[in-house]
Amino acid sequence: MRDPRLTTLADLLCRYSLEVGEGDTVLIDGPPLAQPLFVELVRKVTELGAHPMVRPRLERVQAAFLAEAGHEQLRAVTRLDQIEVEAPTRALSIWGQRNNRFASGIDPNRQAIRSAATRPLFERFFEREAQGDVRWCGTAFPCDAAAQDAGMSLTEWEDFVYSAGHLLDPNPIAFWETQSARQAEIAERLQQVRELRILGEDTDLTIDVSGRLWMNADGHQNFPDGEVFTSPVEVATRGHIAFSLDAPYHGNDVTGVRLWFEDGKVVREEATKGERYLSQMLDMDEGARYLGEVAFGMNDEIQSGTRDTLFDEKIGGTCHVALGMAFPEAGGRNLSGLHWDMVCDLRSGGEVYGDGAVIYRDGRFL
Amino acid sequence: MSDPRIQRLADVVVNYSTELGEGDLVLIQGPELAEPLIVEIARAALAAGAIPHVRASIQGVDEAYLAAAGDAQLDHLPAYALEEMDAIDARISIHAAWNTRELSGIEPAKLARRSRAAQPVMGRFMERSAAGDLRWCVTAYPCDAFAQDADMSLDAYTDFIYRAGWLHLDDPAAAWRTYAGRLRGLADRISEVRTLRVVAEDTDLSVAVAGRTWIASRGERNFPDGEIFTGPLETGTSGDVRFSFPAVMGGREVQDVRLRFQGGRVVKSEAAVGGAYLDQMLAMDPGATVLGEFAIGTNYEVTQFTKQILFDEKIGGTCHMALGAGYPDTGSVNRSGLHWDMVCDLRSGGEIHADGEVIYRDGAFLPSFFADDLAVPVA
Repeated sequence: MRDPRLTTLADLLCRYSLEVGEGDTVLIDGPPLAQPLFVELVRKVTELGAHPMVRPRLERVQAAFLAEAGHEQLRAVTRLDQIEVEAPTRALSIWGQRNNRFASGIDPNRQAIRSAATRPLFERFFEREAQGDVRWCGTAFPCDAAAQDAGMSLTEWEDFVYSAGHLLDPNPIAFWETQSARQAEIAERLQQVRELRILGEDTDLTIDVSGRLWMNADGHQNFPDGEVFTSPVEVATRGHIAFSLDAPYHGNDVTGVRLWFEDGKVVREEATKGERYLSQMLDMDEGARYLGEVAFGMNDEIQSGTRDTLFDEKIGGTCHVALGMAFPEAGGRNLSGLHWDMVCDLRSGGEVYGDGAVIYRDGRFL
Repeated sequence: MSDPRIQRLADVVVNYSTELGEGDLVLIQGPELAEPLIVEIARAALAAGAIPHVRASIQGVDEAYLAAAGDAQLDHLPAYALEEMDAIDARISIHAAWNTRELSGIEPAKLARRSRAAQPVMGRFMERSAAGDLRWCVTAYPCDAFAQDADMSLDAYTDFIYRAGWLHLDDPAAAWRTYAGRLRGLADRISEVRTLRVVAEDTDLSVAVAGRTWIASRGERNFPDGEIFTGPLETGTSGDVRFSFPAVMGGREVQDVRLRFQGGRVVKSEAAVGGAYLDQMLAMDPGATVLGEFAIGTNYEVTQFTKQILFDEKIGGTCHMALGAGYPDTGSVNRSGLHWDMVCDLRSGGEIHADGEVIYRDGAFLPSFFADDLAVPVA
């Protein structure tokens, strides 16, 4: 029998997150292991009168490509890649992997070359998004690889993932509408702030957010969701920050990251694990050493780190920043092939100041 | 360790069938269960300097779409479908399935409607192929669904598939190259014929082929391969044919198909099982009742019928013909959303006459017509 939570998830993604309508072209990409969700989504999209554009990704092919492509091949962007950026009016990415370390044997330099080559694709997609030509949402499909990294069985992980999305609520869409209103209030208050100062263990970071827009992440672009975010003024970040949660990126284990900023730029980086990889990624391009995002997690169903950014960055009582690509819709201008989120727990003694006044303490807005 | 025959198959389709080279954009498509082969083809393509783009399909997605789709969706051909067809330099398609009856619950009219909408893409594909701008190859990957249809275990079917491609040899591509030369000789020889007549049980069919081009199908566009084919004159088919093997399409099986042709068109169709489906397909469009292809299978390593047309039509000692779209490079001008191959066994008493003279009997060409050996060349 089908898991009824998947039917609910597909319904919510189509009707709430993406608001799929008649005539939409809906790109659905993800790993084949998400087969049950692919099927539910295609059914729902089609029932709504739209046209599914299904593009499964095979991680072993991706790994073979990254490992074996020659220099020109690694840089190649084809018309087929461009069509996936230009054709959809709605796009849904399903996240899940058979093995979260599938790319661990790949030389990070090669990965960086590939990311740089595909950057124009992302930029074009973001541009279409900003113009309202396409809407995008990313969602997690519970898989063993993520469960294993989170230290859970698949059954426990499924329960966790679906609870984080409130899919067992009698009316999940109503929950997300309420959550959205709550977050909108916070975003409105943050909109009055010019400068944020984050204080925590080994952390004293000042971020200029004046003139930038705070966005309400309420299940439209990520699912599960629950955060408010903006893109900081590029050249103003200063101080240092220590990330208490693991910061995995593209299947690479990176933990205990500490960053030092001057005039917006990371001038020193450390990690207890994966430091070399961290430095290589930060040297990927000009924008990789600047912040593209600062955000507060507001999903109270998520309590502890899972080593999966989608969930960790939403933990109620945390903040996170991302190195690299900024959000143009928030006023961000930083461009990069990188967008690497790193999460800082503020629930025990963390404080945030807004223009000199305490506005947040121990994981809660005051 | 993975089956070394998978790598040999990948090597043959990349370096022999499609001859991928520097900068070629190759679309690799197939069901996700064929991942081991998809990965090896992508690798071989990279090694050849090409750019692989993989388009895998997922179990149950097509059925979910077709079940829910209305007419407006089935009629919709996205603009990007033509653009994609124009963009690629080569295409490698892998046949395999989780369940060959996956679409049996879908109304045939829906399938026909979708095929009709996709006709411009098929047309563009055939044009580019005929102009030599698009190289393509269809191959197969062993799976339980195909094995079951063939009444075999997966292991036995795996051996069957790889043996049909001569992948048990150390250098299959070399054998195919030698064979290709012989098959071209046969195609040249049969090009002199104006009218073919197929005579077998309940079958006496004349097919006019004068002026059309015969193609030696030698492992380039299909792999495994082994047939010679042409596109008959659209108005020149007449008489009766009975197909000894079931005609399989879209997960459906039509048994004991009998067709009567007059002036090139099917004027009467009968089937022991599945007649309604046959009639629906024939009514798809005007080109669906006209032959787009006539061919003779010449792979003598394929000896048994397995309900997969890729293999069945190659069986040494059979002929087949396709209703619907013809290949322009044969000279065929028939257009249709349909291309349905049906196979007729000639190994027990079947004959082919060429302009009145017997040239083929009991599944083999007579030496008086073609003397070369069509068995697997071994070094």
